[in-house]
Amino acid sequence: MSRKASDFLVKGIIYLATGITLSVLLFIVGFIFVKGIGLVNWDFLTRDFNEKVVYAFMESNDVPLGIDEETLSKKNPYDKRYETHLEGPIYIKNIGAAIAKVAYKNHSTEREQFVITYIEKDSPFHSVKDSTGKDIKIRTDYIVQSINGNDFSGMTLAEVAEAIAAESGELKVKIVQPGGGIKSNIITTLYMVLLSLLVALPLGVFGAIYLTEYAKPGRLVNMIRFAAECLAGIPSIIFGLFGMAFFVVALNFQISLISGSLTVAIILLPVIIRSTEEALKTVPMAFREGSLALGATKLQTIFKVVLPCAVPGIATAVLLSIGRVVGESAALLLTAGTVAQIPGTLFSPGSTLTVQAYYVAKEEGNIELACAIGIVIIVIVIVLNILSRITSDKLDVFNKR
Amino acid sequence: MDAKIKFNTKNLDLFYGDFQALKAINMEIREKEVTAFIGPSGCGKSTFLRCLNRMNDLIDSVKINGEIIFDGQDINGNIDVINLRTRVGMVFQKPNPFPMSIYENIAYGPKCQGQKDKTQLDTLVKESLMKAALWDEVKDRLNKSALGLSGGQQQRLCIARTIAMNPEVILMDEPTSALDPIATAKIEDLMSSLKKDFTIIIVTHSMQQAGRISDKTAFFLMGEVIEFNETPIIFTNPNDKRTEDYITGRFG
Amino acid sequence: MQAIKRKKQKERIIENFFLICAFVAVVSVFAITVFVFYNGIKPFVSNSYPLWDFLTGVEWRPGSNMYGIFYMIVGSVLATFGAILIGVPVAIFTAVYISELAGSRIGKVIRFAVELLAGIPSVLYGVFGLGIIVPYVLKISPNAQGESLLATIMVLAIMILPTVVSISETSISVVPKEYREGSYALGASKIQTIFKVVLPAARSGIMTGVILGIGRAIGETMAVMLVCGNPIAGIPTSLFDQIRPLTTNIALEMGYASGVHQELLYSTGVVLFIFIMIINLAVNKLVKAKVGS
Repeated sequence: MSRKASDFLVKGIIYLATGITLSVLLFIVGFIFVKGIGLVNWDFLTRDFNEKVVYAFMESNDVPLGIDEETLSKKNPYDKRYETHLEGPIYIKNIGAAIAKVAYKNHSTEREQFVITYIEKDSPFHSVKDSTGKDIKIRTDYIVQSINGNDFSGMTLAEVAEAIAAESGELKVKIVQPGGGIKSNIITTLYMVLLSLLVALPLGVFGAIYLTEYAKPGRLVNMIRFAAECLAGIPSIIFGLFGMAFFVVALNFQISLISGSLTVAIILLPVIIRSTEEALKTVPMAFREGSLALGATKLQTIFKVVLPCAVPGIATAVLLSIGRVVGESAALLLTAGTVAQIPGTLFSPGSTLTVQAYYVAKEEGNIELACAIGIVIIVIVIVLNILSRITSDKLDVFNKR
Repeated sequence: MDAKIKFNTKNLDLFYGDFQALKAINMEIREKEVTAFIGPSGCGKSTFLRCLNRMNDLIDSVKINGEIIFDGQDINGNIDVINLRTRVGMVFQKPNPFPMSIYENIAYGPKCQGQKDKTQLDTLVKESLMKAALWDEVKDRLNKSALGLSGGQQQRLCIARTIAMNPEVILMDEPTSALDPIATAKIEDLMSSLKKDFTIIIVTHSMQQAGRISDKTAFFLMGEVIEFNETPIIFTNPNDKRTEDYITGRFG
Repeated sequence: MQAIKRKKQKERIIENFFLICAFVAVVSVFAITVFVFYNGIKPFVSNSYPLWDFLTGVEWRPGSNMYGIFYMIVGSVLATFGAILIGVPVAIFTAVYISELAGSRIGKVIRFAVELLAGIPSVLYGVFGLGIIVPYVLKISPNAQGESLLATIMVLAIMILPTVVSISETSISVVPKEYREGSYALGASKIQTIFKVVLPAARSGIMTGVILGIGRAIGETMAVMLVCGNPIAGIPTSLFDQIRPLTTNIALEMGYASGVHQELLYSTGVVLFIFIMIINLAVNKLVKAKVGS
């Protein structure tokens, strides 16, 4: 074969390979967006994942409707992803609220339900207690299922309105707070990011300062570098095993936010050490010499001259770390659990977005929902990528001088 | 003076982006002669040399106007660059043997041209190394890495590698600037023996070197050819004041 | 004098504080090794389960006290091998395109895409695998399910792309331009220069990328868990058979296991750990060798 022909062939293969790489990326991102985008809306971001059933205790109190019928009929706070409007709304005086009948349908459930569409200002719904006497809040997208033991299932809206209007005095209403959202996962992810950075950032940055500014080459430094490299190479499931054995069991932290974030903090260490070290190395030696020549101590030089110059590098480290925490799953599966709730304390479990995406894909087989969560994750990843590009460009200033 | 003209440039301009590095170069370079380019740093002599086998193609921002006629053909026109480079070889400032064995370094060019015959390659490698006066030093370690050679040996290897292509012209871009005096002397000896087979064009920083080895010398300054003449004339009786200033060491 | 002494003392204390921070990495590695190995070796030392049966068994049935991981090791190795076989050539060619053929603008765009690919969490690769690859494999598979060695290989091949591409690209772009010039000056074409000079010169960097890719593939858990099938027994004999890599065995059952069962999950971790150690050491050797030359 002539050289021209074989060069042409090889070039073709190179283009093909690059095409494959690019189309794989496009395909994955496209797949996740196309599958998931239908489920992403404001409700998805702001609701809890699980439905919550409460019994609301309140005093009935006749409240007149304060707005006109037309405005009322336009209020439709239910979740458009799953709910379609059937009847109503009808305003019911003794609870000072309007309800509508909607059809609910998601991939596994199909039913009709009654949703609160409007709550009047003086409505008894504003002073509701649960069975333990604690104040609870009722919002407009909540679902009413029964009143004083009278279950609404199978009734028309008019029948339900009648049944409610017929009651007086103390009411006991079974109310469902709708789920299907990922608010709790977003907040757990945030907690996880903050807590793990709180631990890993100072350790990593100070460690990097030691390695670049103080350490003399020798066994100790080699050992630290080797350890950081090892940490970077260990797969996250092993970190999960360690977290389980050490934080969860030995320290008895249980499967919890704190176990998860400490485990992740160890995963972050090499990332932060490496990027901070690189940032510190780009600070010209002349800066240090200049500061020392002016009579500053080494410590003053580090904190007043070297570190400020390395801030963009440390910012890059932080962004990379956030990406790691958001993407982390195997270690968190074993240490922070799969419960979709906002962790009330450091010692309660909670699942991050990524773990939740795994959970719904694996345990519920719900690819759409997993993709919807995936969209949120990918948006975060893209934003982090762009930000870190900006910060690392800032750092390059020194090299260009 | 009836030797054939190998290169003939007509009004050659070269730009790096907005910066004009060569200004209206007109030069005739004859066959089987050693032509030396001298001049201060940044005067365009290396840039001009790299035009002659179109190595400047590797730099994105370069723009060239004018003609470079090589054996009657404009090399900036629609020609096969690869073919041009097999006919016009080049030796660089820093010895740049590939990280492979000595044998493979020499056989690289012929193999790229599709030469597969082992015995022919063997002879070619031997001949090239002998012509480059390197054979005796490396004949026992042909399969060892070329990076194990000394700087001077590496440069002679690079020359041997170029000879193996059997080019018509050899361009040398300050070939001895990275070498010690002994290695330099060896390379200079080599050049005078290569002269009978090849047209040699050499860029050099050292005026003594130009004086020792070249038949013709061109003096470059700020992208222009100030003077181009027989080497003895340039060094003893230059026409231009600036050439004289440079030769006598008043600047540069 | 007193003041200077105090200042010096303060500097010394803070230096030691920095050292302790740096040392946390060492302590972590040590603690991870100790905890995982301690828990993992326990069942063999206390004779609650024979090591030989553990390493050579081909059934994992906690209910009937059978804990063999040999078929998992085979699964892990096959999946990794397959992923490397498919992913590495694609990745290296892509790296060549970015650093040698693409213009600087297109190169930048593709580099960004590769970084993005690296940033996508592994779970989403798994979701993609479950949503696209598994149904597709099911169509051509003689078996009744799409979760298989083949699906796992496909997902892992995609996942190692960014690692191998970016490391190869870096090591290609640091090949001195003198090599390229020398090759062009000898009349080599661009493609010849790339494959005969540039890639061989970047070999050790590319190898490092490949080994890191192997590390990523063998350690990957969540994506694999969604597409591999996780059978309780059986050495895979065809691409369409299900596999249960070491990693997913741990992740699947750690949540509820107890007693010997739990300890043997740690033992699974130890086996995985040893694999990773070998890979890490290989990388270390390669990097050192590169510095040496």
